[in-house]
Amino acid sequence: MNKRADLTPMMKPRSVAIIGASRDPHKVGNVILQNYISAGFPGKLYPVNLNSDEVLGLKAYKSVLDIDDSVDLAVIAIPAPAVPGALEQCGKAKVKSAVVVSGGFAEIGETGLQDKIAGIAKKYSIALVGPNCLGVMDMRSKVDTLFLPTKKLSKPKVGFVSFVSQSGAVGSTVLDVIAGEGIGLSKFISYGNAAYIDETDILEYLMGDPETKVIVLYIEGIKRGREFVELARKLGRSKPVIVLKAGRTSAGMAAAQSHTASLAGNYAVQEAIFKQFGFIVANDLSELLYYAKIFASEMRPKGNRVGVITNGGGAGVIAADEIGSSKYLQMADYSAATKKSLRKIMPALVNIKNPLDLAGDADSRRYMDAMNALGSDPEVDMLLVIILYQTPGADPGVTREVVQKKITLSKPLLVVSVGTEYTQRQAKLLEEGGVPVYDSPISAVSSLEALFKYTEFKKRIATG
Amino acid sequence: MSLLDYMQAKKLLDKYKIRSVESKYVGSADDAWRFSAGKKIVLKLLSEKALHKTKAGLVKLGLAEEKEVRSAYDDLTKKGTKLKPYKILAQKMAEDGVEIIIGGNTDKQFGKVLLVGLGGIYVETFKDVQLRLCPITKADAEEMLSELESKDVITYGGRAEQEVVSLLLKVSKLLTDEKKIEQLDLNPVIVHPDSYEAVDIRVLT
Repeated sequence: MNKRADLTPMMKPRSVAIIGASRDPHKVGNVILQNYISAGFPGKLYPVNLNSDEVLGLKAYKSVLDIDDSVDLAVIAIPAPAVPGALEQCGKAKVKSAVVVSGGFAEIGETGLQDKIAGIAKKYSIALVGPNCLGVMDMRSKVDTLFLPTKKLSKPKVGFVSFVSQSGAVGSTVLDVIAGEGIGLSKFISYGNAAYIDETDILEYLMGDPETKVIVLYIEGIKRGREFVELARKLGRSKPVIVLKAGRTSAGMAAAQSHTASLAGNYAVQEAIFKQFGFIVANDLSELLYYAKIFASEMRPKGNRVGVITNGGGAGVIAADEIGSSKYLQMADYSAATKKSLRKIMPALVNIKNPLDLAGDADSRRYMDAMNALGSDPEVDMLLVIILYQTPGADPGVTREVVQKKITLSKPLLVVSVGTEYTQRQAKLLEEGGVPVYDSPISAVSSLEALFKYTEFKKRIATG
Repeated sequence: MSLLDYMQAKKLLDKYKIRSVESKYVGSADDAWRFSAGKKIVLKLLSEKALHKTKAGLVKLGLAEEKEVRSAYDDLTKKGTKLKPYKILAQKMAEDGVEIIIGGNTDKQFGKVLLVGLGGIYVETFKDVQLRLCPITKADAEEMLSELESKDVITYGGRAEQEVVSLLLKVSKLLTDEKKIEQLDLNPVIVHPDSYEAVDIRVLT
C-alpha cells in the first residue's frame, strides 16, 4: 500500500484532536466532539480551541502543538482561510491524518486555497480527507467525524459493508437508509473535494481492510484515471464493489469526429471499466441499496436457477415473468425427488410447479416445508420467497421460519413483501435476521441477477 | 488529428491479420474495369472535403457491367472537380451479411477504448454498443458480445461468435500497440456465418 493510502491512523486512531471544538452547541466542532463523547470513543480526545480552556468537560488546547501526546487524527472544523495554518501546525506536530470538514475551497472556486492544503498534506505526509466533506465513520473503532445530529439519523448496526461517497448529502441519506434496512456497516468515508486522498486511495485501503467485505461507492468523477484502472483491476477480483456513478447525461461530444468517439464518451467509458473489472453498476440510489443488501448477506449462488415460493398467485407470476425475461436467470425445474416429496406434504390445492403457490391460507408450517424442499434441491440455486402478510396464514411465525431457514441455508434467499405497517414490522424483523427484503419482485430479481453476474465474473477470473 | 490514407489504413489492418475487402486506387475508367475482372465492385470518391460519402452520392455500389463501371467512374470524377484533391478507390463488393461496427477511441483519462455494436445505419438509431478498455481478454470480448441486445443477430445465433471474438482481440492489440492511433472506425464490418471483412476503414492519428 502506498503511504498516502494508509488510512489506518484515521480509522483506528488512539488519539483525536478536534480543531474548532467550540463550546457553542450550534457549531460543527461542538457537534463532532459531542458525537465522539456520546459514541463512547475509547481513545484520547483533545479539543483545540483558541478561546477556551475547557470544552464539554475536556481540557482544551490552543494548538495541536500544545498537546503532549502523538495525535493520530485531527478533525478540522474551522473557517476555510484558517485551515492552512492549522494544518501546518498539524504537520509540525507530526499528526498522522486529518479530516477537513470545512467548506469554502474548490467547490466555490477557491482552488488556490485547496492546492495550498494539498501541498501541506503532501509535505508532511498527512493522510488528508476533504475538504468540504462529512468525513469518516468506523463502526468498530467508534470514530465518527460526521457533524450530523444523531437524533435525525439512524445509526447502522456493525457489519462488513463499507460505503464511500464523494457527496456528503448522498452519503448521509444512504447512511440513514442503510441503517433502516438493517445493513451492517463497517466504514463510511465521505471525501468531498478530494484535495489529497481520493477515491483510488480510499478503495486501495478498503481492499486491504479485513473488516470490509462489500464496498458501496457513489462517485461523481475519477481523479487519477490510470491509477484507478490499475486498482480496479485488482479490487474487482478481491471484493464486490457496487457503484453508482453520477454524470450519466453529460451530453456534448456532438461534434465528434467518428461514430466511435460519439458513442464512447467519458461516462460510457467509466461504466465499461466498472463492468470490465467486475464492479456492480447501479443506475440509481434505490438499486445501490438493493444490491448492497443482497451482497451484504454474503451468500453466493452456484448457478442461475431460481425457485419461487409465494402465497399469492399474481405476485408469483410477476416474479416468474421477470426471471423469464432476464438474460441471466432462469426458473428452476425441481428435481423429481423434490416434486415427489412436495406432492406428499403439500395439500391438494397446491400445484407442484415453479412458482410454488402455497395458496392464501399458507402458514408457517407450509412455508417451512416448501423452503426445506427447495433448499435441499440441487436443481435450485436461489430462493425468492414472496410473503404477502395480508393473507390469513402469514404471521410472525412465517417470519421466524424464514429467519431460521436463512441461518442453515447455503443458497441465497431473499424475501419479497409488499405492504404497510404490519408488513413493514415483519420486514424489519426479517432484515434484522439477515434476510434481505424487497418491496417488489422486479427489484428482487434484478438483485439476484447482479449477484449471479458477479459470481460468474469471479468464476471466470478464477479459471483464467 | 489527421486522417490516415485509406490504403495505409488497410495495410495497418493487414499487419494485424484483420481482413478487409480487396481495395485499390484507380486512376482511370480502364483501371477500374480491369480491377473488377468481371466481379461486382464498389467505387468511392475519397476527399477530406467530403465526410459523408454516401449522402453526397460518392459511393457507387454493385457495379458489374463494363458500362456501369465506366459511367460510375466518370460521374465520380465530375463530382470530384469541387472536392480536389481526391482519390477514387475501387473495392470488391462484399457479400451480404450482418453489418457491425468496431471502433477504437482514446479516452483522455483512461486511454484506448474498444467498441463493438450493430453497425451500418443502425449505429445511431439503436446505439447498441459495448465498450471495454484495451487490452481486452478473450473473456472480455465474449462478455462484450453477451451484453449486446443484438448478439444473436451479429453472431448468427452463436455460429460466428469465435470469429468476432478473435477480430475484437486483434483490434484491441492494434489499438494497444499502435500508440499513434487516436481513433479507428471499422464501419461496417460485414459478418458472415464463417468469416468477416471490414468494408470501410477510418483511422485518425
